Amino acid sequence: MKETLIAYFNRSAESPALPTRRIGKYGIFLAFILLCVLLSLMTPRFLTVANLTIIVTQVSINALLAFGVTFVILTGGIDLSLGSMVAVTGVVAATFAHPDDYPLVVPIGVGLLAGVLFGALNGFVITRSKVAPFIVTLGTMTIGRGLALIISKGRPVSNLSDSFNFIGGGHLFGIPFPIIILLVAFAVCSLILKKTVLGRYIYAIGGNEQAARASGIQVSRVKMWVYTISGLLAAVAGIVLTSRITTGQPNAGVGFELSAIAAAIIGGTSTSGGSGTMAGTLIGALLIGVISNGLDLLNVTSYYQQVVMGAIIIGAVVLDGLNRKSR
Amino acid sequence: MKRTSFSLIQASILLLGLHLAGCNQSGGDGADGQDKIVVGVSMLSMQNEFIVNVADEIEKKADEMGVELITVDAERSPLKQIEQVESFIAQDVDVIIMNPCEVEASSPAVTKALAAKVPIINVNSATSSSPTAFVGSDDVESGRIAMEYIAKRLGGKGNVIMIHGYMGQAAQLQREQGAREVLKKYPGLKLIAHQSGEWDRAKAMSLTENWIQSYGSNIQAVFAHNDEMGMGAVKALSDAGMKDKVVVVSVDAIPDALQAVQKGTLDATVFQNAEQQGSKAIETAIKIVKGQPYDAQTLVPFQLVTKENVAQYMK
Amino acid sequence: MSLTQDYILSVHGLSKSFAGVRALQDMSFQLRRGEVHALMGENGAGKSTFMRILVGMETADAGTILFEGNELKSSNVRQSRRFGISMIHQEMLVVPELTVAQNIFLGREKKQSFLGFLRGFTNDPAMSAEAGVLLQKLGLHLNPDLPMKYLSVAEMQMVEIAKAISNDAKVIIMDEPTSALSDREVAALFEVIEDLKQKGVAIIYISHKMEEVYKICDTITVLRDGKYIGTRPVSELDKNGLITMMVGREISDLFPESMAGKGDVLLSVRGLSQVGKFANIHFDVHKGEVLGIAGLMGAGRTEVARALVGLDKPTSGEIYFRGKLTTIQSPRDAIRQGIGYVSEDRKGFGFIPELSVVHNLTLSSLPRHRKGAFISEQSEQSAAEAMIRDLRIKVSGPDQKVGVLSGGNQQKVVIGKVLLTDPELIILDEPTRGIDIGAKHEIYKLITRLTEAGMAVILISSELPEILGLCDRVVVLSKGRQTALLSKEESTQETIMKHAMEFSKPVDLLLNEE
Repeated sequence: MKETLIAYFNRSAESPALPTRRIGKYGIFLAFILLCVLLSLMTPRFLTVANLTIIVTQVSINALLAFGVTFVILTGGIDLSLGSMVAVTGVVAATFAHPDDYPLVVPIGVGLLAGVLFGALNGFVITRSKVAPFIVTLGTMTIGRGLALIISKGRPVSNLSDSFNFIGGGHLFGIPFPIIILLVAFAVCSLILKKTVLGRYIYAIGGNEQAARASGIQVSRVKMWVYTISGLLAAVAGIVLTSRITTGQPNAGVGFELSAIAAAIIGGTSTSGGSGTMAGTLIGALLIGVISNGLDLLNVTSYYQQVVMGAIIIGAVVLDGLNRKSR
Repeated sequence: MKRTSFSLIQASILLLGLHLAGCNQSGGDGADGQDKIVVGVSMLSMQNEFIVNVADEIEKKADEMGVELITVDAERSPLKQIEQVESFIAQDVDVIIMNPCEVEASSPAVTKALAAKVPIINVNSATSSSPTAFVGSDDVESGRIAMEYIAKRLGGKGNVIMIHGYMGQAAQLQREQGAREVLKKYPGLKLIAHQSGEWDRAKAMSLTENWIQSYGSNIQAVFAHNDEMGMGAVKALSDAGMKDKVVVVSVDAIPDALQAVQKGTLDATVFQNAEQQGSKAIETAIKIVKGQPYDAQTLVPFQLVTKENVAQYMK
Repeated sequence: MSLTQDYILSVHGLSKSFAGVRALQDMSFQLRRGEVHALMGENGAGKSTFMRILVGMETADAGTILFEGNELKSSNVRQSRRFGISMIHQEMLVVPELTVAQNIFLGREKKQSFLGFLRGFTNDPAMSAEAGVLLQKLGLHLNPDLPMKYLSVAEMQMVEIAKAISNDAKVIIMDEPTSALSDREVAALFEVIEDLKQKGVAIIYISHKMEEVYKICDTITVLRDGKYIGTRPVSELDKNGLITMMVGREISDLFPESMAGKGDVLLSVRGLSQVGKFANIHFDVHKGEVLGIAGLMGAGRTEVARALVGLDKPTSGEIYFRGKLTTIQSPRDAIRQGIGYVSEDRKGFGFIPELSVVHNLTLSSLPRHRKGAFISEQSEQSAAEAMIRDLRIKVSGPDQKVGVLSGGNQQKVVIGKVLLTDPELIILDEPTRGIDIGAKHEIYKLITRLTEAGMAVILISSELPEILGLCDRVVVLSKGRQTALLSKEESTQETIMKHAMEFSKPVDLLLNEE
């Protein structure tokens, strides 16, 4: 009886038991390929191993954040504190990463721990208070920024050890290390989502939280996990960023949450939760990276880049809406 | 050495309290003769190392001279800054020191202070309405110094790229202006690309990486509007194995940059004297309050820092 | 008088396909003025497609629709409305924040000008006055300025009817109008329908409830698998004939005989209360038994069920399960102890539309299929497929999403999910609501099978024939209180209704006091 007009219109689009036609599923992948083809026609410098390597390296930070926020969005939540978590974890890790201070595991471990704790705090407040994730993470976003400034006393934490700087700047078998981190994170996140009980529960909660609870799923616990994973991945991103720019910046990562959310949504993650894949998110992040790189190569000013990016985000959501209708 | 950094909310609570207090003792002008001088300070952003250095110096000097400070952070918002200045006026401070967020948008703060007969001093950067006094450096000069150095190193011939700060901010506009003046002087110097790195190290690094892809060894020099971005460019060039062929110059002389200059990865930075700006600002403020003669404009000169003279700037 | 003049609506050869699948094929339909014409068929038979074409929400691929001799062409909701076709949707199309009057005039607000030249202001007083008159005519004592959200479902439905009448509707389509109404409200609705009929309004009545159809309809048209099967006057078609038309085969024995013997007590409820919902509920359920819970809407049936499965917390009373005092903290806890629940609100609490049939089926028992850190797809798949076979769930494949299945198959998936947790007690809350007769029959057979296997079943139902046909004993609730615990022999339509109304003073605005 609580059916409103809006609910009706969503529903009215359902046709009775018909096979689904899903253009949208591969739409973003096709768009991505098309864009790459277009750019390689426009500039010979685009399709080179060196340039592609650079794109993936640049994308790695956003992609790591986007993987985390994909879990969150799949449950129907949102995490706005990503950028701040990047700053906090980066600064914390940097503080322990001065040469000859501690072995490498200490800055990494402490940085990751900071991310886990921060994410768990998000999850705890959201599940206990029943306040909307949007509001809670908006709050912790500000708290995180403040913490990063407090820990660093408002100054960049520099003079980091070479071993720490390897994480963001080094190569393994000729591949930049951030790319290796990216691939490992992608594999692990995909496995969690597709193959584990947790992953299934995440989809179930996003699809219908009440039904999930009635099915015996501990919704709060799953949400705790989801925000904690998001925090952990933000910490990985924070450490990679800090290492890449060789300083812990308290004001790093401003606005990162928006790019990450954009990547997830462009990649087909439903804004209301319940559907989406890690592969889609990865493509979304790559798409953003390719556009930014391509426009730089073509020497288009960053102003236009923002316009293009905005249009793509809207396009992706519209696509998602159409896709929903065709179901 | 604790800094009193207030948020807007705290400032307004304080303001409310003062209003209430003011009701009780209305008429009596608190700040007379032997009372402590109260200075309101609104800083552009306490997340910026250089600004923090200026603020620290103001604080240090104020302590020495027995002056009370109320320091607030405008968090880069001109609107917030205007509100902060308004609350200073309402609190009846003796003088205001403002580090403007923007040339135009922060101007009303100056006008309002002057209208309320509260002297106001702009520190570090300018506004379009003129304040009681200005203490700072001429940012055009920093652009000039940096680009002159590039011209000298390249023998007046070569390709340059420029990484801007946030577009439209005073520092960006003036540093660009200075750089372009010099470029005009040397027809052999060509600006092949320029784009905003938004004062951010990671952004400037990505930008440089992408430029390396499009221009490769055609890049002979990089001018970045601040050291953060300069460091990002250095990192990208080093990763590409091109650093020894490209001259990189930036502005601010933050500790990281000085270290890089000493190591030889950053070719030069331009030292903007935060300490002097801070101390001159508070000195001028006190002179004004006490009715002593003061300079309406104090220009603290920029200095070029290269490997040869870097030692004297390192602490 | 020629026949065609008699028909207000005449449809020939109407066809519609979605993505190559025929949803409606060669449909014929004639509607007389002042008749109540039932449209029947199982879910997916094409009824909703047909209705959506009539109201202009879809365009037919082929065929003609003649409305009072004029051809209705393109799909356009406004045009259909202007012709005088209105639909009362099963899922009420109301804007909860707007008032009754504003809802009635939604989309064709009365306008007024301001100071003579600014046009386009809504004239709320005028709409409110006119709405008041309309509601009065329907015998509905409702304040037209009341926001819609404060109305009961029945009242909302009446408002929808008022809206249709205010539109000068000549044809009103009612899609399952009684699915959420109490018996009293149904009676009131039927009076209104009778009244409309007298005024020459034709009504297309979609329902699964045969008793209703036989009570108020004049003619029945049956659809099956998108095809037109036939039209008969009600007087010439008995129930078995109707079922045969709908299902395409004969269903003998709607309620199968149970061979289950009554076993030990499995669940005992003693003095269970929840403030504001129900008080002092007291019953036992034995193994192999079907215990019915009957009562009017709002009697607290679902609330008792929710408390038994940990969705709500009772405020006092005791629950003994397998002879031991227990508390049920959460649905998960209920499942662990062996109590399964199939909610009356299938869409809200039953299934995850975006997940596949397999994934929905195993959702409550997923940890059993875990091998190490991962889910064993093989183990999951085989369990789910066994259940799909066992319950005869009709799917195009195990990976089909549950959201696109018919109501009956969705319900089977939900029941299958619960059965995969191996419950000893299963609580079925309105398990056959909104599903077609074929699927209903299968669920009845399933209930019998479960009890024969020694499981205990609590069946909550608004349909008395179901309660009478399946239950061994019946708990009757009224206004949150238990008014009777009847044995099979004692249970009749009359005794149940008597106890169900024991505490109920008529509060409905819809009924005149007798």
